[in-house]
Amino acid sequence: MTTPPRFEAPSLARPEPTGSADVPSTSDPVVAAGTTPSQQFTARSPRRRGGPLQRLKGLWRLWFFALVLVLWWVLSADSTSTFFPPLQNIVQRLWETWVVGEARSDLYSSLRHFAIGYTIAGVLGVAIGALLWKFQRVGHAVSPVLYFVYVIPTAALLPAIVAIMGIGSPMKITIVVLAAVWPTMLNTLDGMRGIDPIKLDTAKVLHMSPLTTVRSVVLPGAMPQIMAGLRHSLSIAVIMMVVSELIASTEGIGFFILEAQQRFAITTMWTGIIVLALVGSALTFLFIAVERVVLGWYIGARAVEQKG
Amino acid sequence: MSHAVPTPAGTPAQPGTGEGPVLSVSALRKAYNVGKPSERLAISDVSFDVAKGEFVCVVGPSGAGKTTLLRCLSGLLHPTTGEVRFEGTPLQAVPDRLSVVFQDYSRSLFPWLTVSKNVAVPLKVAGVAKEQREARISEVLHAVGLGDVGKSYPWQLSGGMQQRVAIARALAHQPDMLLMDEPFASVDAQTRFDLEDLILQVRAQFGITVVLVTHDIDEAVYLADRVVVLSSPPSVVEEIVTVPLARPRDQLVTRSSETFGQLRRHLMELVTAHH
Amino acid sequence: MNAVDTGWFRTLARLGVIAAVLAGWQLLSVAGVLDSSSFPSMTATMAELGRQLTDSDLWLAVWETVRGWGLGLLIGCSLAITIGTLLGLNRFAYLSVIPVIEFLKTVPVIAILPLAIVVWGATLEMKVFLVAFGVFWPLAIQTIYGVRAVDPVVRDTAAVLRLRGFRKFTTVTLPSAAPFIATGLRVAAAVGLILTIIAELVGGARGLGLSILTSVNAGPDRLPATYAFILLTGVTGVLVTTAFVALEQRLLHWHESQRNLAAKAA
Ligand SMILES: Nc1ncnc2c1ncn2[C@@H]1O[C@H](COP(=O)(O)OP(=O)(O)OP(=O)(O)O)[C@@H](O)[C@H]1O
Ligand SMILES: [Mg+2]
Repeated sequence: MTTPPRFEAPSLARPEPTGSADVPSTSDPVVAAGTTPSQQFTARSPRRRGGPLQRLKGLWRLWFFALVLVLWWVLSADSTSTFFPPLQNIVQRLWETWVVGEARSDLYSSLRHFAIGYTIAGVLGVAIGALLWKFQRVGHAVSPVLYFVYVIPTAALLPAIVAIMGIGSPMKITIVVLAAVWPTMLNTLDGMRGIDPIKLDTAKVLHMSPLTTVRSVVLPGAMPQIMAGLRHSLSIAVIMMVVSELIASTEGIGFFILEAQQRFAITTMWTGIIVLALVGSALTFLFIAVERVVLGWYIGARAVEQKG
Repeated sequence: MSHAVPTPAGTPAQPGTGEGPVLSVSALRKAYNVGKPSERLAISDVSFDVAKGEFVCVVGPSGAGKTTLLRCLSGLLHPTTGEVRFEGTPLQAVPDRLSVVFQDYSRSLFPWLTVSKNVAVPLKVAGVAKEQREARISEVLHAVGLGDVGKSYPWQLSGGMQQRVAIARALAHQPDMLLMDEPFASVDAQTRFDLEDLILQVRAQFGITVVLVTHDIDEAVYLADRVVVLSSPPSVVEEIVTVPLARPRDQLVTRSSETFGQLRRHLMELVTAHH
Repeated sequence: MNAVDTGWFRTLARLGVIAAVLAGWQLLSVAGVLDSSSFPSMTATMAELGRQLTDSDLWLAVWETVRGWGLGLLIGCSLAITIGTLLGLNRFAYLSVIPVIEFLKTVPVIAILPLAIVVWGATLEMKVFLVAFGVFWPLAIQTIYGVRAVDPVVRDTAAVLRLRGFRKFTTVTLPSAAPFIATGLRVAAAVGLILTIIAELVGGARGLGLSILTSVNAGPDRLPATYAFILLTGVTGVLVTTAFVALEQRLLHWHESQRNLAAKAA
């Protein structure tokens, strides 16, 4: 067997110099582009085991964050600018519309489309990536086409997809899937390519069944990079969810914001923006929490490596 | 070879120390992570002097704090208590007339600069003019036995050659003193012998004082005028052994002499006894 | 090594797949599986693309897109690299600001688009702002981490060589951070293009995005044009990505990842 041919497409899925300042490695094969935050949190966590007191000590770092919020509150208090209403008004309106009011249905609608689309994209991405890895020659032959479709900004496809599918849920889910499948797919492929060949040979020598091999060698080996891909897919999925609602929809956070903007209800528009921001961060942090559980072994191994 | 550029050894600035030691370490103590649960005493109490032009080796078991000691000597690390004096003045930062060669040469050479540019760095810092710089670079590269690799990048060279580049860079601005941390630990045996002789030769040529850390007792005896033996951590000076072997030394002759064997045996006992 | 693994065969296989995709597209259209009122045939699209390529309107749209993207990238990246570097050099500043930037990075950039549209309308400024805002956060983070990721041995070496101040910055800090910044730039370029298209689609600023939208709205007759524009957007994407990868290879030839790539290619 010769060395597997490289899939030339993934400029995304190359050993990327990303990471946190606490990690001195300059080229981490595990990290793909756009994955810095989880990287940072995961890499730092082993050190944080200094007990609750140690953790509290780090809280001072939030002073700047707090200062920004306070400044926004104070500086916007007497604002008469149409575009930047007082933060107090925004928060009040936020409570009225999103917590007490009707707008929650928009949130649920968005989240539903996101969840379905993201799940499909994740499963498809891992599956196709694994198949392309398994059938290297096919992967090599189709790579230019895949690359081209990957590079087309998915938003450009949106009007065409709307023309074909109308403005219902299927269209939104399709958009999310089409955009979010790539990072997971390319990272899965690259992660599986990076598995130590000795481990695969060991599996053969031990007469592991293909299923056992996948479960106990391939998936764990590629998992860090698959997670990196899934994280990148997550942020793209959120963006495409909103874009689809901005362009063609009658419900969802994007639609809420757009409609407020068209009525020139700027304060209401701001509430939508803030909810969207919170949703985006909440999903990211949720992902990081899941990632920590899934990659527990890996974080541990890395901490040991760094001490050694 | 070196006569083109005046050696700085002739113009030392040693305020108030006529024949005093170049480097003096007194009651040095170094603890890591002071005040934290992981506090750890690496060096307990170490004192010794290094005279001008002397070659001193520091040996000790693994983890004895040799690297820690060397970093204190170079001014990269501040001792917890005690003092290091260089040419009579207490160390604050890395002094001008001092050079360090790290064990990890592949990381210590800048991969984004060619060999010549790497060697040029200390010369630029010292403000040497361009033409003199060129001359000086080819001079030191020749002194360490590297001909025309100036345009290559460090990572294109073999391990031994990289270590030579690191030595050349350390010698480029003609330091009075050279500190080396296990400089030959990761090269093969033959290269190691070559590099050892190279160091002895450039020291004789440029008249530099050398402190070299190693865990190889044979190497220490072969190179040194005196050997400082550290105990296991937290380390103290076990003994300072004088090496009365004649110079110039020769790998074959010196290593097979009777004195060499005795010294080697004595040091072996010291290092292994308390372990 | 057998015939299947030779370079020739591989290239042929790739060309074959491209031809098969195009032929399959044409076949599905002719067979009526693809409804011609929503998905034009391959030949119609290609013919339209050929016709469009001689049309100055198309090149104007391409220019508008490239201009918005380029300006946004320039502003966003210069700010990110400058601010990221300054923050990275100071531990206190870095620890204080990181939570804000990490938070803002998780915010979908698109959230700010409606605000930009209200403030600037369908203008170049709106596009530039969105792109600059979108590329700023990830690149700033990359820069901060890059500046802080100087290898400890390199840091010691710099101290021993008495490198200080500006010289230390250019000799050690910047080259160490360069791989991080390059990755950030490459991603920023791709993200920037996507944001430009979105800004044109949603905000109605002139460019390829708007051309796609208007051709869709013009009815089934103009559909080939839509797909021609989409293909063209893909080509722009390929060009942009390739250019940045090439630049990275040139500037970072000394870095491990590039050396490994070179070794693999050999
Ligand atoms: N940065 C650090 N933080 C905490 N402890 C450290 C640090 N560096 C070294 N130590 C500890 O100090 C002791 C001495 O380490 P040092 O590296 O100086 O030993 P060494 O003699 O150079 O060992 P070796 O022969 O393996 O190179 C060791 O026990 C080590 O664990
Ligand atoms: Mg050591």
